Amino acid sequence: MAVCVAVIAKENYPLYIRSTPMENELKFHYMVHTSLDVVDEKISAMGKALVDQRELYLGLLYPTEDYKVYGYVTNSKVKFVMVVDSSNTALRDNEIRSMFRKLHNSYTDVMCNPFYNPGDRIQSRAFDNMVTSMMIQVC
Amino acid sequence: MSRQANRGTESKKMSSELFTLTYGALVTQLCKDYENDEDVNKQLDKMGYNIGVRLIEDFLARSNVGRCHDFRETADVIAKVAFKMYLGITPSITNWSPAGDEFSLILENNPLVDFVELPDNHSSLIYSNLLCGVLRGALEMVQMAVEAKFVQDTLKGDSVTEIRMRFIRRIEDNLPAGEE
Repeated sequence: MAVCVAVIAKENYPLYIRSTPMENELKFHYMVHTSLDVVDEKISAMGKALVDQRELYLGLLYPTEDYKVYGYVTNSKVKFVMVVDSSNTALRDNEIRSMFRKLHNSYTDVMCNPFYNPGDRIQSRAFDNMVTSMMIQVC
Repeated sequence: MSRQANRGTESKKMSSELFTLTYGALVTQLCKDYENDEDVNKQLDKMGYNIGVRLIEDFLARSNVGRCHDFRETADVIAKVAFKMYLGITPSITNWSPAGDEFSLILENNPLVDFVELPDNHSSLIYSNLLCGVLRGALEMVQMAVEAKFVQDTLKGDSVTEIRMRFIRRIEDNLPAGEE
C-alpha cells in the first residue's frame, strides 16, 4: 500500500529510501525531500506539545494529486516518511499509525545490530523485508 | 560468607538486551581489532575457555549436581541445568553417535544473536564461538577433554543453532589424590 518509504537521519540525509515503481524513483526522492521542510515546520510549530505528549506521529504532511505523504519523527529526531497512493481511501489514520510503529520497531532492531554503525545506510535484510511487506500489502 | 548469601540457586533477573548488546559490542570490537575472522573465532574461543574454567566453580557451588557417571548424564546436566541457569534456555540433545561419545545441542533460540545480522564480509565469523570455549573450559576442569564446535547457525541461514560436542578423553593426571 505504501509506494515509498524513507528513513531520514537527524541531520537530514537519507538512511534508507525505497519506492515500488522503479521508473519513478527520482520523483519519490524529490517528494520525500520536499516533505522534510514540512516535517521541520511541524516539529517547530508543535515542538513543545510534541515533547510533552510523546506523540511521534506527525500526520498527513501534504497531499498531492496522486499521493499522500505522511511523517513520523522519533525522539532521537530520526524521521520516517511514507508516501501512499491517495486512491487508496480505505487507509485510515490508524493504519498509517500502526505501519509507522512497525517501521519504528524494525528500525530499533537495526540499531541494536552490533554490526550496524549508527549513521550508515541501512542495508539490513530484515528491515528490507519488512518494508517490502508494507509495500505489497493489499487492502 | 556474605558472598555465599547472595548466591542462591535462583537466577537473578537481568535485561536480556543489555546482555545481548554487551556481547555484540565485544564481538564487533574483536572484528575491528583482528584482521580476519579466523583470529576472531580463536579469540572468542580463548575468552570462552577462560570464562568456562571459572564458571564451573560457580556452577558446581550453585547447582549441587553430583558427579556424572557417563557422558550422557553430563550432556543432560549441561542442557537442562547449566544452559538454563546462565542463558535461560534449554537446548535439546540429539544425534548421539553410536559409541555415545558425540552429541548435538540444538538451540531453538540463541539469546546472544537477538538483533544480529551478519554482514557479508564476515561470512566465516562464528559469532557465538564463546559458548564453545565456555563448554570446553568448564568440562576440562572436571577432567573431561571435549571438543565443541558450531555445525549449524541461525545467523548463517540454518533453522536452528547446533553445537556438536565430542568427548575426547578423561584427563586422568589432574585427578586429586585419593579419588578413584
